[in-house]
Amino acid sequence: MANDTQEPIAVTHSVRKQLLAPGKFRLFGKNRDWWIKQFFEGNAALSIIVLLLIVFTLFREAAGFMPGNRHNLEVYRLAGLEYVDIVKRETNSAAALGRELSATRLAWFEALRAEGLTSETANERLAPLDEIDTRLADATGPLRDIVSEMTDHAASVKERANVAEDMKEVRQNLRSGIKGADSQRAASLESQAAAVEIEEIDYATEIVALTSRLPEIQAANRALSAELGALAAALPRSDIPAVSKRLQRFAQALEEFRVGIPRVEGELVRWRADEPVGAFESFNAFLFGRTWVTASFWQDWYGVLPLFFGSFFISVLALAIAIPLGVCAALYVNQVARPAEQRFIKPYIEFIAAIPSVVLGFFGIAMLGETLRLVSQVPWLSWVPGFPMQERLNAFTAATLLALMAIPTIFTLAEDALQNVPKALREASFALGASRLQTIVRIILPAALSGITAAILLGFGRVIGETMVVLLCAGNRIAIPDFSAGLGVAFQPVHTMTGIVAQEMGEVVRGSLHYRALFMVGSLLFLLSLAVNYGAQKIVTRYRLPQS
Amino acid sequence: MSTRPDFPARRSILRQPSWAARQEQLLFLLLRLGTYGVLLAAAVIFIDIGWKGGRVVFRAEAPFINVPFLTEAPESLHVLKMPDGTTLKMGDREYRAFNEAHPEQVKAARAENYVYSAGGIFPNIVGTVLLVLGSMTIALVLGVCSAVYLSEYAKEGPLVRLVRLSIANLAGVPSIVFGLFGFGLFVVALGWNVSLLAGWFTLAFMVLPIIITASEESLRAVPKGLREGALALGATKFQTIRTNVLPYALPGILTSSVLAVARVAGETAPIMFTAAYVVRDQMPWDVAKWTDFVFQGVMALPYHIYVVASKIPQNEYTRDVQYGTAFVFLFTVAAIALSAILLRARLRKQYRW
Repeated sequence: MANDTQEPIAVTHSVRKQLLAPGKFRLFGKNRDWWIKQFFEGNAALSIIVLLLIVFTLFREAAGFMPGNRHNLEVYRLAGLEYVDIVKRETNSAAALGRELSATRLAWFEALRAEGLTSETANERLAPLDEIDTRLADATGPLRDIVSEMTDHAASVKERANVAEDMKEVRQNLRSGIKGADSQRAASLESQAAAVEIEEIDYATEIVALTSRLPEIQAANRALSAELGALAAALPRSDIPAVSKRLQRFAQALEEFRVGIPRVEGELVRWRADEPVGAFESFNAFLFGRTWVTASFWQDWYGVLPLFFGSFFISVLALAIAIPLGVCAALYVNQVARPAEQRFIKPYIEFIAAIPSVVLGFFGIAMLGETLRLVSQVPWLSWVPGFPMQERLNAFTAATLLALMAIPTIFTLAEDALQNVPKALREASFALGASRLQTIVRIILPAALSGITAAILLGFGRVIGETMVVLLCAGNRIAIPDFSAGLGVAFQPVHTMTGIVAQEMGEVVRGSLHYRALFMVGSLLFLLSLAVNYGAQKIVTRYRLPQS
Repeated sequence: MSTRPDFPARRSILRQPSWAARQEQLLFLLLRLGTYGVLLAAAVIFIDIGWKGGRVVFRAEAPFINVPFLTEAPESLHVLKMPDGTTLKMGDREYRAFNEAHPEQVKAARAENYVYSAGGIFPNIVGTVLLVLGSMTIALVLGVCSAVYLSEYAKEGPLVRLVRLSIANLAGVPSIVFGLFGFGLFVVALGWNVSLLAGWFTLAFMVLPIIITASEESLRAVPKGLREGALALGATKFQTIRTNVLPYALPGILTSSVLAVARVAGETAPIMFTAAYVVRDQMPWDVAKWTDFVFQGVMALPYHIYVVASKIPQNEYTRDVQYGTAFVFLFTVAAIALSAILLRARLRKQYRW
């Protein structure tokens, strides 16, 4: 070095002071640094343990669901509820026939009125249809009576089974108090426990009361079948094309119903109360069950499918809005915007992510839902499928708000991905004479595609796990969306997995089957979000571009 | 992008923009419209809540702020529609006094009542502050120490990689799942019931992965040379960390923890069944002994918004409390988040290794 005369740098740093002081601290033969390391290590270990604990708690609470639901299904079969439900399905489709007939009548009536008939003459013309309606109701009457009697019986058997379960638990609780109590108290507890009456229900004899009704059902079915044939023949005709079409459809439904009757009987004959419930049946009933009914007097069903569909459907809708906007904003900021614009837009969009979800949900209830409904009632928008909206709160309302939550996630990550595209690629493209548009579409977008895909996946994870917005704005109707409505399906109310947990967790009995079912839903959400996250990370690392 | 390739040469040669150039302009216009559309949508929400809520929280005359709204507890609102066409609105206590004084007027009037629609939101603010303070203390101690271990002490190996992977993945788990976990473990299994303590731990564990990841990132961003320099001078490992690593990583850790505060304050799902009460008469400090303090449930702002948004009807009498609560909550959380974002933007410029 040439500059030898330079003053030595003044070391005012505290390192020097500490270096001069000898380390005297020792505890159990270990010095201070060892203990400090242990402290940090302990904290890290604690964090890991805690995070493991989350997984453990979720799955432990959920694990009890399998045997519990199996028992639930067993009682359903043993007490004959399943048997009654077979017949009920038949009477329900008969009722649906009746509804279809009333709808047909209404359409016909309106068509007649449109032709200029007074309501009296129109009603007169429709008299044959009314007669069919009455005859249909009369024909299904006997079957309905039988079903209602059977329902009462099966429900009472199930109720007794439930009471017996509760009593068993009471006895167990009393017995568990014996341990640790003094002898006198133990004796009194034992006598109390012995005094608890537990009814042993003999399902085999109870079920006979149901299965013995089979001949009656068969007789009722024969009469019904004959009457249905007569009704189909007596069905009036109409020369109005729309009505005629409806009538034909009704005749077809009638015929299908009549053909279906022997099938129902076959099912009844084949049904066995003692057929065991398979180990996987309980799991399948959860994962593929199409109904979620709780706290019902008849039978509780914990089928996650409608909730899953609801969550998935809302997420897809939200992403359909968020992906174009998020990617578009990322492209704009990264490729087109001036630096001053960038400095404004980037923090702004990050800031959107900080809006609490409950505030968005409140905005949906207070403003957006009502605004959307008013918009949907504008006459010149009536060509939009699903307009005017039936419900103020529906999948679309929730999805627009969720899209706003997903956009910051998608934007930030997509913008990072675009930023990470090596400059050389862009410059090479320009050097070859490509325009900016060509460079963006052909070079930069494909190069950033893996990052953008990951961004979309993470956006999906954010949306499907969101609770408050869907709880407040999705309408909370537990049903699989009816996709036959075409694009109008977006305006149906749905319920979601996150929503059901938030809604029902506060009210369930701790440790009950319902409680465990909610934990099952939680575990499913947990696994789903892990899969989404893991997938996104894999995509990013797998398709990473070499950095220049 | 700093460089915007302009093609002045091409422009001057071709007077008319070519079809390709028009296409380009059109696409850029679309991109711009989409971007500003997003910004506008967010602005609409801020303006709607800011305007309607601001009218509840602020006053035209001194002291310019609706003090009762911020310092009183929620009450039921009684609306009396008098036979002479006037409408009286009063809170629960006021109504009782009025009922004693003029029972005949009350009898003659058509009465409606709405829960939580009068009074203020003071206990909710206090509850939220308590929840944030407690949970952030737990999360910061655990999170920063874990990050220090992971980045400074731990030797790279399959185990540490696995730990890092699982932490990164847990950051994306929905908040309602953390709520379920808190309910299952703290409220039911440990028997803490609905309490501050259960809420603290649930919220802390919810942000723990985020804090660990962000803190580790800022620790790793400190150049190796700083550590090696200290070690070469003979400093011990902890001295190095304390004097040469933590001070430079601290701003980054701070920003991420401010963002975590916004997250903790803003979440509703995790506290719904672990810490929040719909209504509670006592203030949190009205307890006999200190253990009761941590084992009590509190009212919280986000849960209150959920309750007033979903459980009471939407009309002119309930709108005030709904928008007022949303206003206070949204702008508090937004202010926290904004300060974090601005802080981060400044730090990014300051430290460029």
